[in-house]
Amino acid sequence: MGFKFNSPAEGRFNDRMLFIMMPIFTAVVFLGWWGFGYHHFHPTGILAYLFATLASLTAIGPILLIGLYIAEEKDDFLRSIYTQSMLWGIGATLIVTTFWGFLETLDLVPHENPVYVFTLFAFFMGIARALIKWRYR
Amino acid sequence: MKNRLRVLRAEREWSQADLAERLEVSRQSVNAIETGKYDPSLPLAFKVARLFETTIEAIFTDEA
Repeated sequence: MGFKFNSPAEGRFNDRMLFIMMPIFTAVVFLGWWGFGYHHFHPTGILAYLFATLASLTAIGPILLIGLYIAEEKDDFLRSIYTQSMLWGIGATLIVTTFWGFLETLDLVPHENPVYVFTLFAFFMGIARALIKWRYR
Repeated sequence: MKNRLRVLRAEREWSQADLAERLEVSRQSVNAIETGKYDPSLPLAFKVARLFETTIEAIFTDEA
């Protein structure tokens, strides 16, 4: 018994996340653990840029796949749910990170690495998607 | 926007899933349109009208 998706485009999006993004994500986590955690490797020069680019694919990839899904989705309603979720996700992320930035400026909170911004966006987008779907239930 | 989608569907004894299949959209879309929570795009409104062999105005009415 397989998953039943709302549309063929949604099925393709999930397949791409599973078969393209998951291996990349796994490779980045493994390389991070193996290189930095185990061997205390600290790349410099071109190698550092290469690793940063590879690690950034974990954020660039899903954004591109969401864009592809929105372009391929023929169901207006499903597309609008995704688009609204992205807008809420972007808005909430900008609000939280800007607020955090001001708190940092006033030395009220410690500095946080901006690599967590995409995770924050994915979190807010997920919550927004669930709420929007609930609204239209 | 108000619409007569639920009535037209009931007259033909179609479920939301049946109508969704005929319109090639998700069941959630049919439900959102029927309950007036979502207005369909113009191409989808034309598709609905063609399916029920009537005009867009006979199905969808502007509340303004």
